[in-house]
Amino acid sequence: MELKFKYIKGDRVIWMVTFLLAILSILTVYSSIATLAYKYKSGNTIFYLLKHVFILGIGFGMMAVVQNIKYKYFSRLSQLALFIAIPLLLLTLFTGANINEASRWLVIPIINQTFQTSDLAKLALIMYLARVLAKKQDVITDFKEAYLPLIIPVVAVCALILPANFSTAAMLFAISLFIMFIGRVPMKFILATIGLGIVGILLVFAIASVSPKLFPRFATWKKRIESFEKGESESNYQAEQAKIAIAGGGIKGKGPGKSTQRNFLPHPYSDFIFAIIVEEYGTIGALVVIFLYLVLLFRGVRIASRAERTFGSLLAIGLTFSIAFQAFINMGVAVGVFPVTGQPLPLVSMGGTSIWFTCITIGVVLSVSNTGLLKSNPKKASAK
Amino acid sequence: MKDLRKNILSRIYVTYLFVVVFALVVLGQLINVQYVQGSELVKKSKQLTLQYKNIPAVRGNIYSANYNLLATSIPIYELRFDAAAEAITDEIFNKNIDSVAIGLASVFKDKSPAQYKSELQRARRKKSRYHLIKRNVKYTQLKKVKELPLFRKGRYKSGLIIERQNKRVKPFNILAARTIGYKRENVMPVGIEGAYDKELSGIDGKRLMQKMAGGIWVPVNDKNEIEPIDGSDVVSTIDVNLQDVAENALMKQLQMHESDHGCVILMEVKTGDVKAIANLQRQKNGSYYESYNYAIGESTEPGSTFKLPALMAALEDGYVDLNDIVDTKGGKVKYYDRTMYDSHIGGYGKITVKHAFEVSSNVGLSTIITNAYAKNPQQFVDRLNKMNLGQPLGIELAGEGKPLIKSPSDKSWSGTTLPWMSIGYEVRLTPLQILAFYNAVANDGKMVRPRFAKAIAANGEVIRELPTVVLNPSIASKETIKKAKEMLEGVVENGTAKNLKNSVFKIAGKTGTAQIANDKYGYKYKSKVSYQASFVGYFPADNPMYSCIVVVNAPSKNVYYGNLVAGPIFKEVADKVYAYAFSLHPEVKEKEKPELPVSAEGYSDDLVTVYNALDIPIEDKSNNYDWVNTVKQQNQIVLQKHLVAPIYVPDVRGMSAKDALYLLENKGIDVEVKGIGYVKKQSVTPGTLVAKTDKIILELGI
Repeated sequence: MELKFKYIKGDRVIWMVTFLLAILSILTVYSSIATLAYKYKSGNTIFYLLKHVFILGIGFGMMAVVQNIKYKYFSRLSQLALFIAIPLLLLTLFTGANINEASRWLVIPIINQTFQTSDLAKLALIMYLARVLAKKQDVITDFKEAYLPLIIPVVAVCALILPANFSTAAMLFAISLFIMFIGRVPMKFILATIGLGIVGILLVFAIASVSPKLFPRFATWKKRIESFEKGESESNYQAEQAKIAIAGGGIKGKGPGKSTQRNFLPHPYSDFIFAIIVEEYGTIGALVVIFLYLVLLFRGVRIASRAERTFGSLLAIGLTFSIAFQAFINMGVAVGVFPVTGQPLPLVSMGGTSIWFTCITIGVVLSVSNTGLLKSNPKKASAK
Repeated sequence: MKDLRKNILSRIYVTYLFVVVFALVVLGQLINVQYVQGSELVKKSKQLTLQYKNIPAVRGNIYSANYNLLATSIPIYELRFDAAAEAITDEIFNKNIDSVAIGLASVFKDKSPAQYKSELQRARRKKSRYHLIKRNVKYTQLKKVKELPLFRKGRYKSGLIIERQNKRVKPFNILAARTIGYKRENVMPVGIEGAYDKELSGIDGKRLMQKMAGGIWVPVNDKNEIEPIDGSDVVSTIDVNLQDVAENALMKQLQMHESDHGCVILMEVKTGDVKAIANLQRQKNGSYYESYNYAIGESTEPGSTFKLPALMAALEDGYVDLNDIVDTKGGKVKYYDRTMYDSHIGGYGKITVKHAFEVSSNVGLSTIITNAYAKNPQQFVDRLNKMNLGQPLGIELAGEGKPLIKSPSDKSWSGTTLPWMSIGYEVRLTPLQILAFYNAVANDGKMVRPRFAKAIAANGEVIRELPTVVLNPSIASKETIKKAKEMLEGVVENGTAKNLKNSVFKIAGKTGTAQIANDKYGYKYKSKVSYQASFVGYFPADNPMYSCIVVVNAPSKNVYYGNLVAGPIFKEVADKVYAYAFSLHPEVKEKEKPELPVSAEGYSDDLVTVYNALDIPIEDKSNNYDWVNTVKQQNQIVLQKHLVAPIYVPDVRGMSAKDALYLLENKGIDVEVKGIGYVKKQSVTPGTLVAKTDKIILELGI
């Protein structure tokens, strides 16, 4: 037993949840990459399967490493990460690989791996918020002392992500607000920030309709929102195909690898992977997935409640919340609660950066559970 | 500190609760999609993803009697372009657009490269996923298009969409086009295509297909769910050579007389096989085209050709005999308020019945018939009906015109009906129906149904014969038939069709000239009345092989008599058919050796080939010299050396123009040729130095 759990430290339930999600990811991605495989690799699905397993393996390695880092270091690291992330975001915005007019990726030289900078920025920002909130608890009601140092990085990061990726920017903004709420920022500031956010978005739309070049993705956003309201056009086609997939699943699903809708859904291995999960594994599969993310968040809550310091608390809840929140947005898009956005299902969707940063995120949470829990809880301490 | 912790914890629980609610909303919508909207969505998806696709059966061919292809299906392609295909980036598009446009322009040669380029660019701008590049693309063109840059990468990487269709083609073009017919969507199929549609069509197969990524349909199973059964072939009775003869002869006369339309049917007497059926109608621009099957569809008042059945009725009923005398009076006779005239002004006086028929005397014929049947016209009508004249032939082809034989009980029957019926008015028949009647006479009374197809075949083997149908084993007694034949021969020997007489074989037939009040077309053609000139008959008269009818409507040049307008067509067809059908010739007697032909002088190999082909004995005394003279001896031709020296002008007299030109122009001499035949004179004396000769004039003659 000792050997077996040599690398598995921290919260075992989180490890378990992560492992189950990874298994589900391998099954579903393998089933849904046929289109991609036929398009680029003349039908070689094994290539994609191996690549995906490899990425997951590295992700788990990262998790195992990160969980050992003393969580206190993340306070400093978050500052560093943010200072790296902001210039990278700028770089991406102006030179990034352009896919569907969305500059979201940077190509890392040498290993030639595309890298979505917003994933790094997201992790950095949440950790940074936890740091600032923890530090400013005594003066948390002060506008100048507490609110400004919090809101400036949030606005900066979101503004830099927004031109290329509206939904990530909006999501990150919302997550930030929730973390600020947990960190006891007064409601009047939060409400004001929401107001500010709305004004900001309206401003962006106004600018975009005057000079569309500044926001090349504006047309897509507008179309998606309009079609979500009216129920038409291409993105509605996607939504409808996703619904067909979900409806086709029934209670037990069609079985692994038996999806037919994967041929109609764009990005069935990423944006719409939840639809494929439901099609193949039915309502039962959907319940399991929803349950797993809720468990993940619940473990985050538990760790937060037992953390020895406010920073650890905020780190654990903020990061697990960001994963669960994104997961439910992805599922919400698939079932038609939200307009079509490109948010992957954390840990399940195919995609290098997304998986790795999710793994690092979980690694940080594990590190809190590993190195930052109250000593007064003998049970937890012994489990360690 | 504890308060702070508690405060943060409670806020964490609120957040958790929020996420749980969020999860429940997602779950609720999931259940809504699955179980409320579910069944409808699944139904929709089935239609989208799984479909039984038709696999069209290949339509059978139509062959002529001697297995020439009259109608067949060939694949043609429609090319489209998916301008919004995912794989085409702007870079790829812009890089290849010029070479693709140039390529398309050079393959199709219908638009300039710039036009193709701007069309493709427009499609790209509009994100058209189904831009039409070109219809009716042949396979050879398709192959070239598939080799163009970009397009050679295939459907997904280039956006080139190829759709295969079948096109029906008639290799002989307008030849018998209307009788071969066509099948189009939403139009009743006509001709043989229509009559044998069931056999030709075959049965479409079905295959369960599933839609895959990118809109491609892939079969679900290895085998087709229902295999298509290809259509059978139809072997028609049409003989392409005879058809060609008929159509050309008709065309020539129609053009000469600027007629409105005309038709020719050639039928084999014993079998009823329609060997040729030509229909031509004048188009607005003065050309002629097959646009309506008059031969089987247009029923008109036949005029004088109906005098045969009328007189046969009287002969059959015993009212009259060929040598009885009939008084044609002064060429006119009055029935009630209407006067009937003979076309020969002044009439023929007292003549035999046979001669009255031969000269086609209206007065004579109507007198015979009214004398016989005035008291009991029903008997006349019954007799005509017994000879199958009142009912349609029931041919396989759609659109047969209905015949009309009035009955005394009809409202339209009047006192003048009987006399006018006897000369072919107040009755209606189609050309094919009249021909079938004359054919029955030629066939010793046995009336057969005209046949357009003789067999159904598959893979080159006959699978079903289509036998000749006998409509009436005997339309009249042997006596009457014999008399009818005698009269028909008389028409050509001493009557209205003397111009058809020839010394080689005998033709029997009857002319017809009808005035037409054509209620179908309503108008009078140019002048006051329109005419229909016809000739119907058979040949050789003593052993009938073929029957034939020619009908020309509305000849406009004031020449409208049957013998003058329709007769020459009949004669040309008969001559050519006779020449073509070897079985009609009397055998060449063995003893009469043909005379050795006069032969030209010229190139040795060519001449030897010709003589060998004709089995003419030759003796070559030229020592294999290229150029020879020919000398006719008693039993053979002798080839002698014909010296051609390089520096002298050769003697080309007696050579064909081809050989002479070859020899002279090879020496660099300019040649001018006058007339046709062999070289009779050459302007430069043989033996003159070539160097001194620039030009030579050759006069040809036979």
